[in-house]
Amino acid sequence: MPQASEIAWLIPVFPLIGAVLSGLGLISLNKKINNSREIVSVGLISFVGISAVISYKALIEQINGYQSVEKLFVWANAGDFTIPMGFVLDPLGSVMLALVTTITLLVMIYSHGYMAHDKGYVRFFTYLALFSSSMMGLIVSPNLLEIYVFWELVGMCSYLLVGFWYDREGAAHAAQKAFVVNRVGDFGLLLGILGLFWATNSFDFNEIATGISQSISDHSIPIWAALLLCFLVFLGPMAKSAQFPLHVWLPDAMEGPTPISALIHAATMVAAGIFLVARLQPLYSIFPSIQFIIALVGTITCFLGASIALTQMDLKKGLAYSTVSQLGYMMLAMGCGAPVAGIFHLVTHACFKAMLFLGSGSVIHAMEEVVGHQPVLAQDMRLMGGLRKRMPYTSTTFLIGCVAISGIPPLAGFWSKDEILGNAFISFPAFWFIGLLTAGMTAFYMFRLYFLTFEGDFRGENKELQKQLLIASKTNLDEENEEEHEEHGSIHESPWSMTFPLVFLAVPSLIIGFMGLPWDSKIANLLDPEEAETAAKAFELKEFLPLALASVLIASAGIIIAYQAYFVKKINLSVLFAEKFPSINRFLSNKWYLDDINEKLFVKGSRKLAKEVLEVDSKVVDGVVNLTGLVTLGSGEGLKYFETGRAQFYALIVFGGVILLVAIFGFQSPQVS
Amino acid sequence: MSTYFYTSFATQMLGTLGAGLSNFPWLSASILFPIGSAFVIPFFPDKGDGKEVRWFALSIALITFLITVGSYINGFDISNENVQLKENISWLPDLGLTWSVGADGMSMPLILLTSFITALAVLAAWPVKFKPKLFFFLILVMDGGQIAVFAVQDMLLFFLTWELELIPVYLLLAIWGGKNRQYAATKFIIYTAGSSIFILLAALAMGFYGTEIPNFEFSHLAAQDFSQKFQILCYVGLLIAFGVKLPIVPLHTWLPDAHGEATAPVHMLLAGILLKMGGYALLRFNAQLLPVAHAQFAPLLIVLGVVNIIYAALTSFAQRNLKRKIAYSSISHMGFVLIGIGSFSSLGTSGAMLQMVSHGLIGASLFFLVGATYDRTKTLKLDEMSGVGQKMRIMFALWTACSLASLALPGMSGFVSELMVFTGFVTDEVYTLPFRVVMASLAAIGVILTPIYLLSMLREIFFGKENPKLIEERKLIDAEPREVYIIACLLLPIIGIGLYPRLVTESYIASINNLVDRDLTAVKGAVKTNIFSGTKTNEILKAPTI
Repeated sequence: MPQASEIAWLIPVFPLIGAVLSGLGLISLNKKINNSREIVSVGLISFVGISAVISYKALIEQINGYQSVEKLFVWANAGDFTIPMGFVLDPLGSVMLALVTTITLLVMIYSHGYMAHDKGYVRFFTYLALFSSSMMGLIVSPNLLEIYVFWELVGMCSYLLVGFWYDREGAAHAAQKAFVVNRVGDFGLLLGILGLFWATNSFDFNEIATGISQSISDHSIPIWAALLLCFLVFLGPMAKSAQFPLHVWLPDAMEGPTPISALIHAATMVAAGIFLVARLQPLYSIFPSIQFIIALVGTITCFLGASIALTQMDLKKGLAYSTVSQLGYMMLAMGCGAPVAGIFHLVTHACFKAMLFLGSGSVIHAMEEVVGHQPVLAQDMRLMGGLRKRMPYTSTTFLIGCVAISGIPPLAGFWSKDEILGNAFISFPAFWFIGLLTAGMTAFYMFRLYFLTFEGDFRGENKELQKQLLIASKTNLDEENEEEHEEHGSIHESPWSMTFPLVFLAVPSLIIGFMGLPWDSKIANLLDPEEAETAAKAFELKEFLPLALASVLIASAGIIIAYQAYFVKKINLSVLFAEKFPSINRFLSNKWYLDDINEKLFVKGSRKLAKEVLEVDSKVVDGVVNLTGLVTLGSGEGLKYFETGRAQFYALIVFGGVILLVAIFGFQSPQVS
Repeated sequence: MSTYFYTSFATQMLGTLGAGLSNFPWLSASILFPIGSAFVIPFFPDKGDGKEVRWFALSIALITFLITVGSYINGFDISNENVQLKENISWLPDLGLTWSVGADGMSMPLILLTSFITALAVLAAWPVKFKPKLFFFLILVMDGGQIAVFAVQDMLLFFLTWELELIPVYLLLAIWGGKNRQYAATKFIIYTAGSSIFILLAALAMGFYGTEIPNFEFSHLAAQDFSQKFQILCYVGLLIAFGVKLPIVPLHTWLPDAHGEATAPVHMLLAGILLKMGGYALLRFNAQLLPVAHAQFAPLLIVLGVVNIIYAALTSFAQRNLKRKIAYSSISHMGFVLIGIGSFSSLGTSGAMLQMVSHGLIGASLFFLVGATYDRTKTLKLDEMSGVGQKMRIMFALWTACSLASLALPGMSGFVSELMVFTGFVTDEVYTLPFRVVMASLAAIGVILTPIYLLSMLREIFFGKENPKLIEERKLIDAEPREVYIIACLLLPIIGIGLYPRLVTESYIASINNLVDRDLTAVKGAVKTNIFSGTKTNEILKAPTI
């Protein structure tokens, strides 16, 4: 039997085969396929299962010190250029593969329960398999270009899955927003990749780094150009990993089915940006200013996500902003030049955040029995409460997740977050302080979610409140829809297929932190043995303890405030805080007004620009052809345009365009280098 | 003949066959066979709904496709950069006109594309019930005519075929079009015929250049050493003529009208093949025959390409009519062809070539889907559609796949061609760095704009709540097998090229390398003359006013 590392290219291929088969089936034999849904899902789960087995075998080989494998072939060529493709398997890739396959498998099992009554069950599983294949492809990509290919493909799967319930307006808009915002990042990424290729003649991560540093030292590339290229490439991860200000798509993406939120928008795809920055560490570590920008963006994101999460009433949105915040931590680690810490947090976060999302899905699943399939109602925490008694597995695992993410030792989140904060303390003390503050906020909002959802009394039967929420959300419900949901069920625990993944994920959430003990970090040993050795030697308890103590204390403070405010209700935060500082409260609950700015500036602006160009096209360019342009100029029609200032606008556009053409054209006679 | 293909058993069989067929006039056959067969159609009994004619036309189109495939397999050697499959028959020696056909790397992929898309267009024309005999007659004539445009090796003959192909298109628009068909058809004919006067003038000028006896053969013209001023004069004329066809903004306004009025099969041909005539001719004449002028004008091509991409993407976004929206998206995609042609790099130019093939497939698929959707909704206004996806799920899936292909999703052909153009242009040392940076950044804005208009379009047609009025009035049936089959035929090569682009690029790379070498030599020469004459800048700006 060959070594698994040597055949790692098979890992993305298996789920792809499954996805293609069931996709073709859906197109050609729609009814038959939909009737044998279990066969399809079991088939697809086994395909992913095979990939998981290979991935784990590869991981074990890598732990045992098997060499990294890289194989390439010529994909496209012209003239002297060749564009290679292939696969690479190294320690970082093997860790990610094991993580992705595990969570994909669990989410697939969970989806069997969650999507059981959905008409699109088979389509959902097909998309899932397609996504997992693209994600695994991204991880084994040996160069920037191939990463870009899979980067786009995971984006497409995200588009398809967010828009899965395409009869919902919200889902349609969210899907498009996710794709377009990501394209903004990809715009930079593509230009950056092209520029780096121009500068170094290579797409390979290490070759790019050595090429750039060499070009800078012999002055063949100006330093600003190199910095610009690095920053452009960073735009890609900013969009994909929801970093400020390109994070706006992620909370909206919660319109997708909850298993998707767990898999794509918490554990795997959004981590791709972090992964890419880790891959590019050889390049970024050359430029301290880029490192600083990365750290700064990470810190802003981390604080912003947590601050918005404080006021969210939608369970899933709250978790989404929490994800944004945690991704900010990971980016901060990358900026501090501590990729191992970032990846470690990525792994632990994937486990507990996937579990939290799946738990929220379980809650929503139960709530829908009572309040109907209206996301505005089923996800609002004002209608929840007291679910702990009815849903023991869900509530226990959710609590574990909350403790883990809050950073209470010895659960997973403590070790990884502290590792990042420790690194930030050395590199950028100011960022460390904000990170520390955020840790307190994290603990507060997570326990707020927990208390509101699982403790107290159940508020779901309150019709008055339901109506108010519907009015507030401006959803116009059709009457028949409402009647359909009149039938009453009661809250109950979800089926085994949904609780099993929760329980399964609780285990790593509890113990995976021990993989990265600062004095004996197994994950650092695997990813970067030299670094691990120096770190272990440099470790001193008296340096570690004060920092750790600070973060534990602030986390506990957050938990205690949440406990006082939402469980025993001794302090009333709306009186204490919201009424005293209404502007801050409004600022937070309006999500820093970023969505509004986005809507007004970019969405409306681009629409307006497009309309004006179309008008120029039909009135000026085509008008000249039809000679109507000349006629209108001489008649009252033309005068009207002058009055409205439209004519000036047209003239401006046309002349501006010509001048631009002439200017650019004039400067550029071809030259030979 | 070509030992290259004697590799597998299957091709060996064909090869043995080919040994006997090595003198077979492949290209003449692929041109004359559909045209000749078309003249059988009038003798069909004039009754029924044209069922016999449909099948007849389909089989002729398929046989034509097989003939072109046969010519590729039997007579075409991809490692040879020269014109192959040559046939020379003196036709009207007094005029210097010869029936001269042949194919090199630039013609061959487009010849194959033509016969392929035409066969699918015939299948797409299955529901045509109005005057089916005339319709299929014209389609078959167009098939042969278009192959001729790509295959002829004589500039006068090229002009004739270019003009001849206008007639069937005009009639197809004017008889089977939508409400404004007369306006659209007239606009189309005036634009194209008017601009092609420049082709005639340039052809005559070039053919008579420096000789008593006119000679219009490409090989002869390519060997000529035209003076710089002469080249520039011809270049400008040809650029206008081909710029209308491609189209280049601001010469594009015939296209939305023509495309907006055409029926689906005609639409597939217009977008799939006709636009490529412009790109092909730019490569063949402007870049190949007039290298010195090309060196001067290439920056303009780049700028125009960028304008095409952004301008058309914005207009497409604002369009509320589905057909016109897609029509503008075609213009936007053609911008990459312009950038590729102006790039002076083998990678960029072969990206332009690939973009033509790729858009031929993707454009045809989208326009076919527009037609199929219109058959059901009877409206093209986006405001009158919504939530269509709930009744037409498979149609929704096909639309999604083709739109993703059009927005250059990796794994599909559009991505590869755009990437090759980008990479070729950016790494090309002919242009100054700031120019490349600005142009590449502007062109990359297209990367953001394209998904905006395509995904908005999908959202407005298929997503959301069903439009009650539409559901009430129209019967929305899902895609039928014929339609799925057509799209599958188009998606197969789209994805095939996306996964392994060398499938197509290998067939023309030798010719493209040759062309780019020629142009690069001219660029170096141009710079030299500039330096010697002391005028450091702006040969370009002065040039067009001579």
